[in-house]
Amino acid sequence: MKHHDIMPAGQVGRSVPRLEGRQKVTGRAAYTHNLVLPGMLHAKVFRSTIPHGRILSIDTSAAAAVEGVHRVVTGEDLRAIVAEPYFGPAFHDQPALALDKVRHIGEPVAVVLAEDPYIAAEAARLIVATYEELDAVFDEVEAMTSSAIVHDVLKPAGTFPDLKHLVGKRDTNIALDYQLRRGDVDAAFASADHVYEHEFKSQQVMHTPLEPMVSLAAPDGDGLLIHTASQSPSFVRIEIARLLGWPENRVRVKVPYLGGGFGAKLYIKLEALVAILALMVKRPVKLSLTMEEQFFTITKHACTFRIKSAVSSEGRVTGRRCEVYWNGGAYADIGPRVTQKSGFTAPGPYDIENVSIDSYALYTNRPPAGALRGFGIPQLVWAYESHSDMIARDLGLDPVEFRRKNILREGRPHATGTLMHDAEIEGVLEKIAERMNWSAPFDRGEGHIKRGRGIAIAFKASISPTTSVAIVTIAADGCASLAISTVDMGQASDTAMAQILAEVLGLATEDIKVIHPDTDVTPYDMATLGSRSTFHMGHAVRLAGEHARRQLDELAVSLGYAPGAAYAPRDLFKKKYGMQAGNIVGVGSYIPDYTSPAPKTGLSDNITPFWMIGGTGVEIEIDTQTGAIKVLKLINAADLGLPLNPKIVETQLSGAALMQYGFTLFENMLFDEGQLTNGSLADYKIPGLNDIPPVIENHIVDARQTTGPFGAKGVGESATFGVSPAIANAIHDAVGVRLTELPLTPESIFNALRAAKSQAGKA
Amino acid sequence: MRNFDIVHPSSWAEALGLLSGGDEGTRAFSGGTALMLMMKSGFYAPTRLIHLGALEARCSFIEATADGGLLIGAAATLSSVEASPVVQRSAPVIAQAMKKLANVRVRNVARVGGALAHGDPHMDLPPILAALGGEVLLCGPDGERTCPVESFYTGYLETRLSQGELITGVRLPPQAGWRSAYVKCTTRAADDWPTVGVAVSLRVVSGAIADARIMVGAATERLTRLTSAEAALRLGAPDAATFARAADAAAQEAVTVDSASGSAGYKTELLRVYVRRTLAEALLNGAVQ
Repeated sequence: MKHHDIMPAGQVGRSVPRLEGRQKVTGRAAYTHNLVLPGMLHAKVFRSTIPHGRILSIDTSAAAAVEGVHRVVTGEDLRAIVAEPYFGPAFHDQPALALDKVRHIGEPVAVVLAEDPYIAAEAARLIVATYEELDAVFDEVEAMTSSAIVHDVLKPAGTFPDLKHLVGKRDTNIALDYQLRRGDVDAAFASADHVYEHEFKSQQVMHTPLEPMVSLAAPDGDGLLIHTASQSPSFVRIEIARLLGWPENRVRVKVPYLGGGFGAKLYIKLEALVAILALMVKRPVKLSLTMEEQFFTITKHACTFRIKSAVSSEGRVTGRRCEVYWNGGAYADIGPRVTQKSGFTAPGPYDIENVSIDSYALYTNRPPAGALRGFGIPQLVWAYESHSDMIARDLGLDPVEFRRKNILREGRPHATGTLMHDAEIEGVLEKIAERMNWSAPFDRGEGHIKRGRGIAIAFKASISPTTSVAIVTIAADGCASLAISTVDMGQASDTAMAQILAEVLGLATEDIKVIHPDTDVTPYDMATLGSRSTFHMGHAVRLAGEHARRQLDELAVSLGYAPGAAYAPRDLFKKKYGMQAGNIVGVGSYIPDYTSPAPKTGLSDNITPFWMIGGTGVEIEIDTQTGAIKVLKLINAADLGLPLNPKIVETQLSGAALMQYGFTLFENMLFDEGQLTNGSLADYKIPGLNDIPPVIENHIVDARQTTGPFGAKGVGESATFGVSPAIANAIHDAVGVRLTELPLTPESIFNALRAAKSQAGKA
Repeated sequence: MRNFDIVHPSSWAEALGLLSGGDEGTRAFSGGTALMLMMKSGFYAPTRLIHLGALEARCSFIEATADGGLLIGAAATLSSVEASPVVQRSAPVIAQAMKKLANVRVRNVARVGGALAHGDPHMDLPPILAALGGEVLLCGPDGERTCPVESFYTGYLETRLSQGELITGVRLPPQAGWRSAYVKCTTRAADDWPTVGVAVSLRVVSGAIADARIMVGAATERLTRLTSAEAALRLGAPDAATFARAADAAAQEAVTVDSASGSAGYKTELLRVYVRRTLAEALLNGAVQ
């Protein structure tokens, strides 16, 4: 097959086993959790018990009196080191410890420092805070008009170019309202043969990385050394330096392997708190969250999406209005970017003349929401691909055929006006239809077991504009080290980047040393997020390798080799320096072109450097007596360009799909007046081995990203997109009921079946 | 999790002596699979834990009794019960249920005594042992006594185990002629705690159901015997119509509770389905010889 072609040097396109695999399975890989420094103090956080209120008092005396407690610190105490200890990538709205107000249950209010983590934990329980309770708002739609205002003052960060226009709306809970206007959507509705309008809801869920968040800060001369399980070491350095008013080079951030990230460990989380505490007590301070505390730290946006379509009698969608409400929780984190980046893809991968989008990032009194694998896309696809099937069924059209009529094809303009290139929407759709054997008769089950099938397709734009920098060092024996700030959190970026460099330099991937993020050593990278590393850092690594290669070639010529003649690098160094000595350093820096969307219309002729295309097909069975659902077959297909490493790509596809599978079927943070009622893994269930569908297929659709490194682009999220609506569509196919709220629990299916039966009885 | 002692008594008498102070902060433990979770979550903060490990050698027996019943020591691990030929022969339903009880790592350390003492209605073993007519064997400062498993539970995490008492084992009557099954269902992940668990045991004589015991766990606040469902079975033919009548009686009778895994109303409907299915499975399983 074309897409499994291996590049000339035999490195890119080869299923190289993960470079770190042996270290990890033998328990030798080092994680921040294992790190202990001399004199280190453990921090334990005392958290708010109310969703919204003014802090009246914090009594830390009993905690401070516990033997072994070094110090108890409140938000006001932090001001001795940093006057305004607020952080965040979009707004500087989140205090390292609550100041004046608390805005969600579980918000950090005070912290106990002790040499023994158990003493710290016991003492934290003795802290007593009193509050003047304020009205709270929990629902994203209510937050649009609520008189309960989560933030009295809005503080846009102005850090990222794509969020420069961000100001928020004072005296509301709207952190960002993104809008897009294309064509005349009202006219489209007025002249439509059919108009369909539906509302869909997604629930709040958690990332659940196996390694909970952990950060350790230590004073280091006149600077600060931060060891942290972070997906964005460069951002941590910049943000800590900003808080302290220091130059970047006084802050050193080191990141080893991560035990999963999924967006939970992005931007800045625990780092500001441990940094300030370490400077305050002049000792290393470590904060290790428990699995349960992560529920209060970062989550995935709950979302309400109202979608309305104008459709012709032949089944062409001529207009679409999208209103999307994102429940950002108490702090914006990166929610505004989710609102905008995802927002402009809300109409789906369809060719629609007239489009109107309003996407709102809202503050509420829930734990904050940020990036989670898919970055808002799964919430949107859940709605627009359920909507697609509802339209198709109503018009008596086959769901695949309906999509064929409407998909965006090569060269056609997307809603923003950007022309579609290298986006195999059709390829993904047809691959799924083929693997589902869609046109063949389907066994619908018998008795109380009913079978059904469903599909969904989707796309995602890459984040832009962002920068990656790579440094390659060739040693005098010809071996190469690669210094990058991309974080290998399990996605195998070390392996993929080593493959790219090895291909450029003509070395074996296994012989490349990848230096893990250490901001004293590894250069800037925007972050490991949004499936951007393969494309952006991939290019930077390629450029760095080519830069090194060029210098070697020049050195060879200067040493008398004929231009183009073969040489061994070690011979060049020996000849030049008279011994095994010296280095060649190659540098690569990459930022793609980008056009910001016009603020009023949301239009842009270059909205993304590449599109990720993903789709899912499922076959399911429903036990109509209990509502129990079994997924029998899960087919994932994606356009990821040419795969750098086909085997790893397949595991990215299956991993992403299974993660969304849990969010689809049962994961759900349940709240009672802002209080999380199932905040432990005993009551918040994630999929286990016994939940995995018996048949899973992962397909790499024939494609090439012409602008990507070796034709490649990102893949970490693509298989999340279609899972939820594919399953809901299959449920409808099996038993004729339509669910519009996630998760798709057996009880919700059972209740829908009951309601349908009683409706039929009345009719 | 700090500031508590662990002591290791070497005899029953010593263990009972350590428990006799009446201190709520003193607890006996063996496998610790439930207790450790409660301690980690801050739900329980002991002052002293009494580890029964040294008593294991004397108390991990699994043996047939003279009358054809079964005696299982409190310190027997769930894995040893699962693998026991005696259990497989005289109460195969237990061995079968073990395969889907927690996971092998838990079964290797969790003990029968702890599984009975914990009192969480979601546990699998109590409904099965109750349906088989089992009795909990207890010893305390006032000597030994027994209590039927079916009436051992008084509420959520509450049992008839008195302060100062220990479970020494469980005794089952002869199972010859009885047909048994245990079926549970989960509504979230497959390895979740059950949303409903149904254990049944019935005896069919000359084409009619002579005797039946039906227990429900997980869906109710405590392990509950469904006597009106049993009455609906008695003297009926072991067929779908009788089972459906029993299932309706069960749904009528059981007081189900809301939880994160489902509403009470839904659990009642699940119970209706699962009583029927469990009875059918018991019939299919055939009688113990």
